[in-house]
Amino acid sequence: MPSRPLNRICYVEDDEDIQRIARLSLERVGKMTVEIIGDPTAAIAAMAAFRPDLVLLDWMMPRMDGPTLFRAMKQRPETSALPVVFITAKASQVELDELTALGAVGAISKPFSPTELPNQLREIWAKLP
Amino acid sequence: MSQVAASDSVVRVSERGLSAGIRDRADPRLVLADRVDQLYGQMWLGIVATFAIGAIATFEFWSVGLRDLVLFWWGLVLLVTAATAGLLYAYRRSADRAEHADQWLRWLGIAALANGANWGFAGAVFFPSHTDEQQVFLAFLLTGMMSGGIPLYAASWPMFALYAAGIVAPFTYVLGTFGNRLFTEIALLVPIFYAVNVAVAYRLTQVFHAGYRLRHAYGKLTEDYSVLNQRLERQLGELEQARRQVEASGRKLSLFAERAPIAVLELDAQGIVTQVNPGAELLFGYAGAEIVGRQIKDRLVLPELRAEFDRQWAQLIESREPVSALKVRSPRRDGLQVVCEWTVTPLVNPEGTVIAVIAQGQDVTRQLEAERMKKEFTSTLSHELRTPLTSIIGSLQLINSGVLGDLTQDIGELTAVAERNGSRLLDLINDLLDIEKIESGKLTLAPEVFSLNDLVREALVLNRAFAERFKVRFEISSEIAGPPPEHKVHADRKRLLQVMTNLLSNGAKFSPDGGTVEIAVRERGRRVRVSVHDRGPGIPEAFRGRIFGRFAQADSTASRQKSGTGLGLAISKRLVEMMQGHIGFESREGGGTTFWFDLPRHDS
Repeated sequence: MPSRPLNRICYVEDDEDIQRIARLSLERVGKMTVEIIGDPTAAIAAMAAFRPDLVLLDWMMPRMDGPTLFRAMKQRPETSALPVVFITAKASQVELDELTALGAVGAISKPFSPTELPNQLREIWAKLP
Repeated sequence: MSQVAASDSVVRVSERGLSAGIRDRADPRLVLADRVDQLYGQMWLGIVATFAIGAIATFEFWSVGLRDLVLFWWGLVLLVTAATAGLLYAYRRSADRAEHADQWLRWLGIAALANGANWGFAGAVFFPSHTDEQQVFLAFLLTGMMSGGIPLYAASWPMFALYAAGIVAPFTYVLGTFGNRLFTEIALLVPIFYAVNVAVAYRLTQVFHAGYRLRHAYGKLTEDYSVLNQRLERQLGELEQARRQVEASGRKLSLFAERAPIAVLELDAQGIVTQVNPGAELLFGYAGAEIVGRQIKDRLVLPELRAEFDRQWAQLIESREPVSALKVRSPRRDGLQVVCEWTVTPLVNPEGTVIAVIAQGQDVTRQLEAERMKKEFTSTLSHELRTPLTSIIGSLQLINSGVLGDLTQDIGELTAVAERNGSRLLDLINDLLDIEKIESGKLTLAPEVFSLNDLVREALVLNRAFAERFKVRFEISSEIAGPPPEHKVHADRKRLLQVMTNLLSNGAKFSPDGGTVEIAVRERGRRVRVSVHDRGPGIPEAFRGRIFGRFAQADSTASRQKSGTGLGLAISKRLVEMMQGHIGFESREGGGTTFWFDLPRHDS
C-alpha cells in the first residue's frame, strides 16, 4: 500500500459529458485533484506536466485508443511507472484478462457510478505495492 | 433376408439330388409293388394255359383208364384254376395292393406251389401206368409247363423255384424209383435241368428288378427336377422384382439430388468430380461438364486453401468417417465467392475401400453475413448505448446524492424516477447482451471455488436496498444462520451473483407489502441447493411452461406493474446450466413460489 493517500488523478476521455461527470465525481465526492485530458495524442506530455498518482484511460477513443496510448506510456520514462486503470464499456472476461495482461492495475466498467468511483479507485490504490 | 434363405435351400436340394445314387432315389417298396403287379398282370395266361392243357391231358388220360384218379386230378385242376382266378380277382379289387405287396407275393407263392404240385401229381400218378407214347406226352407236358413258368414268374425267381419244384420233385422221385436205368439217368438229369432253369429265372429277376428300380429312380429324378425348376422360376421372379425395386429407388435418389436446392457432388477417392446436380451448377455458376472429370480443388477451392484441402481430404479417405458442418469459402465461375456448409460422406464397400464421396453443400453466405451484422450491431449497442447512459445515469446519481446541493422535494422525486428508469434501460441492455453472448456461445465463465453461503450473504447485502423499496424483508433460514457447513462449489462467482440477484429481486417484486422472502441453502446428496421462497400470488398455471423463455412475463396487470426485462430467468437458467446446475420452481397459484437452483458440491 502506497504511503500517501490517493489524490492526483489524470483521466483521458474524449466524451465531454463524461469528462464533466467524472470531474464532479472525483472533485466533489472524492475530494481529489483532477486533470482531464480530451486528446489522447497530447496525453503523455500533459501527464508529465501534471504528475498524477494514478491514470484513468478510456478504452475506445478516436485517433488513438486506450491500449495504444497505454503501450506508448510504457515506452516513456516519465510515464512508464504510472499505475493505469481502464474505464471501458467492454466487460467480458476475455477483454478484462487482456487488460491485466497489458499491465493495467484495474478495470472499471461503463457506465460507472459517480458516487462510487472515488471509492473504487481508492480500493485499487490500497492494493498497490 | 428371406430371399437369401430360399436360395440356400435350393442349392442344398439340388446338390443332394444330383449327387445321390439311383438306389437312394428308388423306393424299394414301390419297386416290389411293381414286380408283384407284373406277376399278377400275366397270371391270366397261366390260368388259361393250366385250364386248357389240363383239359387236353384229362382227355388223353381218360382214354387209358384209372378214371377215378383222372376225375380227381381234373377236379384238382379246376380247383387250382378257380382259386388262382379268385386270387387274381381279389388282387385286382384291392385298393391298397401296393402297400401290401409282400402279402400278395406270399399268396401268389402259395398259388404257384399248388399249381406246380398239381402238375407234379399228374406226372407221379400217371407216368408209371401208361404206355411209352403217353409217357413221352407226359414228359413233354411237364417240361413244357416248367419252361413256360420262366417268363410267367420271371419277376420273382423264388416263385418260379417253388412252382418248378412242385412239378419236378414228385416226377423225379417216380423216375428214380421206376427201376429202369434210362429213367434213373433222367431222374439225375432233371434236377440239373431244374437248377439251370432257376438260375435263368434268377438272372431274369435281377434284370427286371434293375429295370423297375431304374424306372422309379427316373420318375423321382424328373419329379426332383421339376420341383427345382419351379423354385428357380420363383427365385428368378423375386430377383426381377428386387431389381425393379433397386431401379426405382435409384431413380428416386437421383430425383432427390436433381431437384434438391443444395449442391450435391459425387467424387471418387482421388477427389475427381464424377457427377454434379443442377443445384451445384447454379451455386457455383459452372456447367456440369466444366467440373466433372476434374479435381474439385482446381475449381471450387481457393488457391491459398488447397494445401489445407489436401490434408483434410487425406484424413477423410483415411478415416472413412463422414464430416459435417464444414464451412468453406469457394470461388464461383464469375469471380465472386460463396461460403458453403458441407456434409461430406465417404461411401465404403464391404471390403473397406472408399468407392465414392458424396459432398452436399448449402450456401450459407447470407447467413454468415447476417451473423456478422448481428455481431456488429451488438458491439455498437454495447458501446453507443452505454456511453450516453453513463452521462445520463451519472448526472442523475450526482444530483440525487446531494453533493451538488439540496433539491426541492418535487425535483428530487423526479430525478429519482429518471435515475431508476435509466438503470432499467441499462439492465435491459445488459440482459440483451448477455442472452446474445450465451446463445452465440461467446459467454465464457471464470469458475473458482467459493462458499455458497458467503455468496448468498453477499447477494442479500447487494439487494437489500431493492427489497426495502418494495417493503420486503429477506430472511435466511436457520441452517445458514447457525454455525454453517461451508457448501463449497466450483462456479463463476460473478455470474452466480447475477442469478441470485435475479431470484431475490423477483421474490421481492412479487411479495406482498411487509412480506418476507425466505432464503435457504441445503445439501441434497452430492449437490447444494439454494431456494428463494416468496409469499406472492404464485405463478399462473398457463404461464409455468414458458417461464424460462425469453421476454417471459405473466400476462397480468399485476406483473406488468412490477416491470423487469423478462430476460432474467432465461439468462439465469442458461447460466446455471453452464455451471452443471439445475434450476426450477414450485408454485401454487395464490400460495407463493419457491425458485431454486442447485450445483454439484465441490469436495476439496
